[in-house]
Amino acid sequence: MSSRGEDAKGRQRAHTRRKVVLYGGAILLLVVVMFPFLWLLQMSFRSNDDILGLSVLFTPTLEHYRALRVGQFPRSFANSALASVASTLLSLLIGVPAAYSLSRVEFRARRQIALWVLTTRMAPPIAFTIPFFLAYRHLDLLDTVPGLVIIYLTFNLALVIWMMRTFFDSVPRALEEAAWIDGSSVWGAFLRVTLPLAAPGLGATAVLCFIFSWNDFFYALILTRTAAMTAPVAIVNFMQYEGWEWGKIAAGGTLVMLPVVVFSLIVRNYLVRGLTAGGLKE
Amino acid sequence: MDRSLTDRAPAQYAAARPVAGGWAAQRQRAFLYGLIPALVVLTAITLAPGIYLLVTSLTPLSLVRPAETAWNFSKPWGNFTELIADQRFTNSVGVQVRLSVVTVGLQLLVGLVVALLLNARSPFLEAVRTTFLIPMVLPPIVVAIIWKVLYTPDISPVHRLLIWAGLPVSSLITNPRAALWAIAIADIWEWFPFTMLMILAALQMIPEEPLEAARIDGAGPWQLFRFVILPLLQPTLLVAALFRLIDSIKAFPLIYILTNGGPGMVTEVTNYYAFIQAFNFSYWGYASAITVLMVAGVFFLSWAITRVVRTEVDVE
Repeated sequence: MSSRGEDAKGRQRAHTRRKVVLYGGAILLLVVVMFPFLWLLQMSFRSNDDILGLSVLFTPTLEHYRALRVGQFPRSFANSALASVASTLLSLLIGVPAAYSLSRVEFRARRQIALWVLTTRMAPPIAFTIPFFLAYRHLDLLDTVPGLVIIYLTFNLALVIWMMRTFFDSVPRALEEAAWIDGSSVWGAFLRVTLPLAAPGLGATAVLCFIFSWNDFFYALILTRTAAMTAPVAIVNFMQYEGWEWGKIAAGGTLVMLPVVVFSLIVRNYLVRGLTAGGLKE
Repeated sequence: MDRSLTDRAPAQYAAARPVAGGWAAQRQRAFLYGLIPALVVLTAITLAPGIYLLVTSLTPLSLVRPAETAWNFSKPWGNFTELIADQRFTNSVGVQVRLSVVTVGLQLLVGLVVALLLNARSPFLEAVRTTFLIPMVLPPIVVAIIWKVLYTPDISPVHRLLIWAGLPVSSLITNPRAALWAIAIADIWEWFPFTMLMILAALQMIPEEPLEAARIDGAGPWQLFRFVILPLLQPTLLVAALFRLIDSIKAFPLIYILTNGGPGMVTEVTNYYAFIQAFNFSYWGYASAITVLMVAGVFFLSWAITRVVRTEVDVE
């Protein structure tokens, strides 16, 4: 009796020990992984005299954020937002009906569409940049927000079609068929019945489109100069043309990553699906 | 591939259309109207540029001398024969292979270890897993800035800590022997959450029975991992590796910000070389040829992905 009690206590102790090791390891890992990120964050709140300080305790200042209010940064931030939102809306407008059609009609070409979508997702951006740059010179789309919106469609449209198709696949057809019997047209039933049921998926897809457009650096670097410059490019300009203003760079970086981090936490369960769109089995 | 898509879709509709026509045919047409705008736009923004790229790669186009070089097909394979002899190009392919092998291999390893460590039901561990998503979703340019700070001796907390400890180290990104590793470390930090997430999802799908059976047979934790868990994870590891491999070919912001392809050419991957040829030297035809080869490589890898995934579906 007593030895069984000892046994249980021993097991309990081993269990506790394992838990301590596991949690200790996790905390250590957390510190190591998040350190680079947190370092940039804290730099953005240090005054210029103390920008390289190592002390944990310091008086935070917003001077770098205030410095960003003048100059071209606010405009570049607005350009980023405008291009990302417009590209997201446009790709939803074109891509959602296509996704619904693909979900409801059996195509033999479905696998080819999958490969097409996957290829556009996989193609290195330079493959689009070279022809777009050459064409934009003649179309007067260089250094314009519409120019960015169009090139962002190259990745967003494929993403919308692929993701929304899988969401529509999981909405039962019986519901829209009932609406058809009541006299609805195909797209009327779609808008009133199917789309509302796929709303969470629509939201997640929209957020992913926004994140991918917002995060773009390469296209904006090449296709914009001043008028349509986006925030990521503006930050790099702090590094190259305006000397090394680390406080401003850190504050700009923080502002640029803020919306992305918030949005990603909202759609975290869909992240892998978005990043592997077209490649994984439905 | 794309031609077969447009060719076949109408035939498909014709076959599906009932003889009576009427409502069913109307419905099929309605669905077709939903699909057409997307196909038109996709063709205009992916297929047409692709063809333009291919055509440009057969010309010596340079915007410095556009009159003589644009649409000049006198030597259509000139760029490609030049490429074979171009040591800077072969070097860039070698750099790309080394960078891809190191980053993909280590991302799989780190992702696997972290996933195994954090794969338990607990609110705390779940919070840790969510936090680890941050590097992956950050704008790539912010990732590059973060590592620029860490790699620049004057401002880096790591360098100053090492000096304080009496172990000064020269900057990794200006050292030809270490620069590629510096890029690789930043890339691994950025993308291990991706492999971790995929592996975690696969771990949660593993049924309890084989694990239980192996335990009853007296398997220790290592044997359990080696002979039960790892084989079950294999398809996931393969898919994650292929995705990371293809993305590693796009590497740009890290290299642009951290090393600019240098020192010398030790971090100049093929993507970066094509960028330099087009936007610094204005050799658009030549850059297009490099890009065509890259796209061919990516296309082959994409095809491999769908292959792998399809066998996975077949097994189930």
